[in-house]
Amino acid sequence: MTWQTFLFLAVAGAAFGYSGYRFKILYKMMVAQKGKGPKVDRIRERVLTTIANVLGQKAVLQKPAAGIMHATIFWGFIVITTGTLEQFVTTLYQPAHFEFIGELPYKILVFMQDIFTLAVLLAVGYACYRRYVLRPQGLGKSRDASIVLALTGSLMVSILLMNGFGILGHSPWFQSAMPVSSQVARFLSTFGFSSETNSAFGTLFKWVHMLIVLSFAVYIPSSKHLHIVAAGPNTFLKKLERAKGMKPIAFEDETITQYGVAKITDLSWKDTLDYYSCTECGRCQDLCPAWNTQKPLSPKLLILDLKENLYLNKEKTLAAKYDEVSHVIDENVTEDVIWACTSCRACEIACPVFIEHTDKIYDIRRNLVMMESRFPAEVQTVFKNMETNATPWAFSSSDRANWAEGLSVKTMAEDSQVDVLLWVGCAGSYDERNKKVLKAFVNLLKKAEIKFSILGKEEQCTGDPARRIGNEYLYQTLAKANIETLNRYQVKKVVTACPHCFNTIKNEYKDFGGNYEVFHHSQFIAKLLSEGKLKPSKGIDETVTFHDSCYLGRWNGVYDQPRAVLGSIPSARVVEMKNHHDQSMCCGAGGGRMWMEEKIGKRINITRTEQALETQAGIIASSCPFCMTMMNDGVKAKEMQEKVKVMDIAELMDQAT
Amino acid sequence: MNIYVCVKQVPDTETKIKLTADSGGIETAGIKWILSPYDEFAIEEALRLKEKNAGSTVTVMSAGPARVVEALRTALAMGADHGVHVELPETADNNMAAKALAGALKKETKVDLVYTGKEAIDDGAAQVSQLIAEYYGMPYVTVVLNIEYGASSVKCKREIEGGAFEMIEAPFPVLIAAQKGLNEPRYASLPNIMKAKKKEIKALKMADVGVTDGDRKIRYKNYQLPPPKQAGKKIAGDPAAQVKELVRILHEEAKVV
Repeated sequence: MTWQTFLFLAVAGAAFGYSGYRFKILYKMMVAQKGKGPKVDRIRERVLTTIANVLGQKAVLQKPAAGIMHATIFWGFIVITTGTLEQFVTTLYQPAHFEFIGELPYKILVFMQDIFTLAVLLAVGYACYRRYVLRPQGLGKSRDASIVLALTGSLMVSILLMNGFGILGHSPWFQSAMPVSSQVARFLSTFGFSSETNSAFGTLFKWVHMLIVLSFAVYIPSSKHLHIVAAGPNTFLKKLERAKGMKPIAFEDETITQYGVAKITDLSWKDTLDYYSCTECGRCQDLCPAWNTQKPLSPKLLILDLKENLYLNKEKTLAAKYDEVSHVIDENVTEDVIWACTSCRACEIACPVFIEHTDKIYDIRRNLVMMESRFPAEVQTVFKNMETNATPWAFSSSDRANWAEGLSVKTMAEDSQVDVLLWVGCAGSYDERNKKVLKAFVNLLKKAEIKFSILGKEEQCTGDPARRIGNEYLYQTLAKANIETLNRYQVKKVVTACPHCFNTIKNEYKDFGGNYEVFHHSQFIAKLLSEGKLKPSKGIDETVTFHDSCYLGRWNGVYDQPRAVLGSIPSARVVEMKNHHDQSMCCGAGGGRMWMEEKIGKRINITRTEQALETQAGIIASSCPFCMTMMNDGVKAKEMQEKVKVMDIAELMDQAT
Repeated sequence: MNIYVCVKQVPDTETKIKLTADSGGIETAGIKWILSPYDEFAIEEALRLKEKNAGSTVTVMSAGPARVVEALRTALAMGADHGVHVELPETADNNMAAKALAGALKKETKVDLVYTGKEAIDDGAAQVSQLIAEYYGMPYVTVVLNIEYGASSVKCKREIEGGAFEMIEAPFPVLIAAQKGLNEPRYASLPNIMKAKKKEIKALKMADVGVTDGDRKIRYKNYQLPPPKQAGKKIAGDPAAQVKELVRILHEEAKVV
């Protein structure tokens, strides 16, 4: 026992004690949330995902430069922590060093620590260059980040000085395994200190290093660096399905008196873990169609603002005074923020720590709509249309099948012995432009000799717009009616040209007893092509760019089939926009935005159309009726309708066959 | 305050009207029924008045066949407290409806205000509001855009022909027929929809309110649908020829000039 042991015990005890106390509060806050968290199942898959994304840094590395920087610091942190641990242990009890692992393994360990110290220092240098010189928009200003970078940089410098002076002071037997520190020692030797002085400096910098580590421990719980603790578990707990449905509300349960989220505490412990995990990297914000068109919504700021709301209500939450907790809508998370979301899920795809932003927005919308009847005024007509005529637009339900007049398309009532049910959707039924898409798709089905029927007047809106806007009650009314009809006809296979219908029937009807094999028409056409049932022979001599629908791409991972369809058309030249596949930008119509006015900022559809026009393509290919409308409007607004056509992939394939 | 709203259930605005085989009426099968939109302004106004005056109640009334109870439920979901349904046959006319509603109002102990829509969107007759007031014996103001409430009277701004307005003051009890623009009707919250399912709706028969079949003043003999809209015509040629052709069509075919 030396003075160092006692000093270390005192300082480390204080630091870890305080840090532990702060973590305990964070944990208590988490479990005090009233909302229901996810079920933890499929442990094997979760472990594998966690290994890939935490140890392997898979999601982080999606952005190469910043990714390599982060991975270096992360891996360095793990390697160097072994050294820090040894320091702590030997400070308490000198003989407990790690040399017992053997001479060579120990030398390798020391070598790795030495190399990573330099690597982390370089990575911190790049991080500073990026943050203070390049200044990417998504990062923003952050005192937290500056402190963390300063501490990390100082940690590395203190290690190099500690080792450099150590080498000069007492020439450790493993010094040949420390090439970087040896160079530092060579430089330090120019001062010409005695061995004793050098050893003393070594000890000094060891203490500097340990103190910085301990201050990190104190600092982490209150900083964005909390992610080093929270992001791992958050990755483990992430939703495993890429295709995800929204959570249903059990309206028949009369003990539920409040729907949706009115207060931060109505969210779940997993949501809290989401806030803790946010590293403020801004990748979500960079891809957000709302933020990029000057709307007040930034997914990053939403998470940070919710975290702030959580902390503001800390005392009341911990005292279980839930009634006194403030409303989740405040001066930061305004109603405009909540209504700006197009539910495109670009934020969730971008997030390296798997924060789930959109469910929180839907839950808040549910409360605003169902409990308080607060929503953009124009939405009221949409709800009423859906209630009386089962379509968001003002059309009679008795006119639903008018589009098919003269096409000799049968209804299920007339013939239910079919290969597949064609789910038309409201846009295909009523919207003039999209009726043409349905007609083209019907042509294709006939050319491929597929036996199909439609539901005709028995079809109702799937309820998707109501659900995304927050009217779960209306959604369930429509969903249950549709499921009753589909099950009555014993429907097994469904094909639809609408990604919103596709997602709802495929992923969300199963919660209410609707289980079907559902195809988007891009998948169906691609299948017909591969089976040789459709043979495109007529060329379309034009450059075509494909606009990804969010509900097809990000929601359901369907990227290849629509492109395969376009690729099979003779002489068509398919080019990609700058943002495509999962980095694609929403047309602006998702999340019920199709039926809301866009009063703030630049129009999203104009921005996306400009990206499409940049490719110089003569045809913008879409695979979604809402994208079709939005891109068409965009092309007209840019006065390019003479040169650029917006066409559905079914129309192009119909032309080519 | 005792506040009353009289409402009518009408076919949805998107309904394609079909006539019965004998053209003596409208085919009701397959019609989606809604609360007449002007009545929503009336309900909203009643609810706002109730919210400003603690202890007030809003009672919503409708006269018609059994189906109109749905319209009452819609009004109850918006926030009305009680419902009264006077059962009338499908063929009842405006006079019967007005007499029935006035009769139902007379059965109430105290009436301060009665709201209606300025007209129902199905027959567009704009008769029932005034008739209720006449049968009950109270003043009425129709096509109302704004209301200032006094202690026992109202000042109403109403729309008159030629885009002008007039102000009318009337003492309680008074009937006010709402015009679009009076307010923005609310969307029923889910808890209120749930509560509305359990609220009581009082059922009255014609005899209870002193209405007989002899009160029917109108008998509809024959209905005709408007002629189907004809496809538009595009006139080709240079401007001078186009004008010439347009004048010829207006004169010879449309016979309007």
